[in-house]
Amino acid sequence: MSTNIPANLKYTKEHEWALVEGDTVTVGITDFAQSALGDIVFLEVPDVGSELKLGNTFGVVESIKSVSDLYAPVSGEVVAKNSDLEGSPEKINSDAYGSWLIKVKVKNTTELNNLLTAQQYQEFCNSSH
Amino acid sequence: MSELLKTSLHEEHVKLGAKMVPFGGWDMPVQYTSVKDEVIAVRQKIGVFDVSHMGEFFLEGTDAEKFADYLVTNDILNAPHGKAIYSPLCRENGTVVDDLIVYKLRPGKVLICVNASNIEKDFNWMKAQHKGFDCTFVNKSNEYSLLALQGPESYAILKPMMKDLPEIEYYSVFETSFGSHTVIIARTGYTGEDGFEIFGSHAAIKEMWQKLMEKKVTPCGLAARDVLRLEVCYPLYGHELTDEVNPFDAGLGWTVKLTKTNFIGKASLETKKAKYKLVKLTLDKGIPRENYPVMDGQGNVVGSVTSGTMSVVTGKGIALARIEIDKAPKDEVFNIDIRQKAYPAQLTKKPFVTGGHK
Repeated sequence: MSTNIPANLKYTKEHEWALVEGDTVTVGITDFAQSALGDIVFLEVPDVGSELKLGNTFGVVESIKSVSDLYAPVSGEVVAKNSDLEGSPEKINSDAYGSWLIKVKVKNTTELNNLLTAQQYQEFCNSSH
Repeated sequence: MSELLKTSLHEEHVKLGAKMVPFGGWDMPVQYTSVKDEVIAVRQKIGVFDVSHMGEFFLEGTDAEKFADYLVTNDILNAPHGKAIYSPLCRENGTVVDDLIVYKLRPGKVLICVNASNIEKDFNWMKAQHKGFDCTFVNKSNEYSLLALQGPESYAILKPMMKDLPEIEYYSVFETSFGSHTVIIARTGYTGEDGFEIFGSHAAIKEMWQKLMEKKVTPCGLAARDVLRLEVCYPLYGHELTDEVNPFDAGLGWTVKLTKTNFIGKASLETKKAKYKLVKLTLDKGIPRENYPVMDGQGNVVGSVTSGTMSVVTGKGIALARIEIDKAPKDEVFNIDIRQKAYPAQLTKKPFVTGGHK
């Protein structure tokens, strides 16, 4: 499967992308993830003010066929959520990297070191298929 | 895990870039481009499914119809030749082995089409009942491929490809020629739309598939098939029907003909009352999924979802759910538990979508 993996972003093995700007991380799902899910029809993400814990589920993305959990790439407080996606989650299918889900204010910046680089993520995608 | 089986069209699916998934021991296309687009193609125009994984059993000889009639709950003997009859296949205790379609091809020749995952179970069960009937009973699943051509344009597309294709009625079957091949064409399907199912040799079906692709018929995968059948509330074995329920529990009382002289499960079904009922639920918010608990207005669990998805046509969450009749709420207020949150669900009497079949 050919996938689009921008070099300026960081990634997780749960197929999420993270844009790190200082202590704020913008989170979405990767092109690989949207393609694997198919038509996305439902999205559930936490409200602003919610606390996320690294590795814990923080929301759900559903395609017609399946339900997938979202896992927190970092610990911290949700400072924004993308309300544009609420009525039209299918935007994630057409533009996975333009469709951010939430922004998180990172509690412990050392956690950022756990994120994968674009190259590491590419290798992970290759090795798991 | 043993190697997945491949249909005669496997290569074609891979060439088209289909996403392949294991299904009932087969490596099958779940979608080609988008589930939504594939569903819409079938509802509005035409789509084609490779369903060659399904099983074909042939009964031939004087007692072919009699044997089929004894095996299943619906009435086969009194149906005219050229008809297709949907029916559950039951055990002596009334539980469902499978659901299937019996095709009365011509006097002394019957085709039974069964679910892919149940081929062995069904064949062994039927074979054990075969004694005393003057007909052959052969599993030809490996010799046949099967296409389902579905949607309002099906007849217009298929007609010019065939030597002879009269406007047969819905749930009728017809043997005819396609090029040098003999094929069995039935006006049946699993989408609620008009359409045809075509049984033929692997070579015949491959040729037909390629012709259909040339005519730009949309190839459709199992995911679209599941949405389509659920929108029109057709049961799926392993979900609405299982080894543990009887036809009454699944709302299939209309397929149980207790007036027949004899059939397997008759004695038991004569005394059975439904313990469950299958209900249709619609949600304005949230998508119901299999096994999600269904509750009454007070929060008591009264059953669970057997199949659920988001309807492509209505854009709403839809579910079939098995409810314990004793617990069914009189006020008809239902909630579905989605990730520990109660989502209101409206009971509907009619299927979620009305198919266009004739």
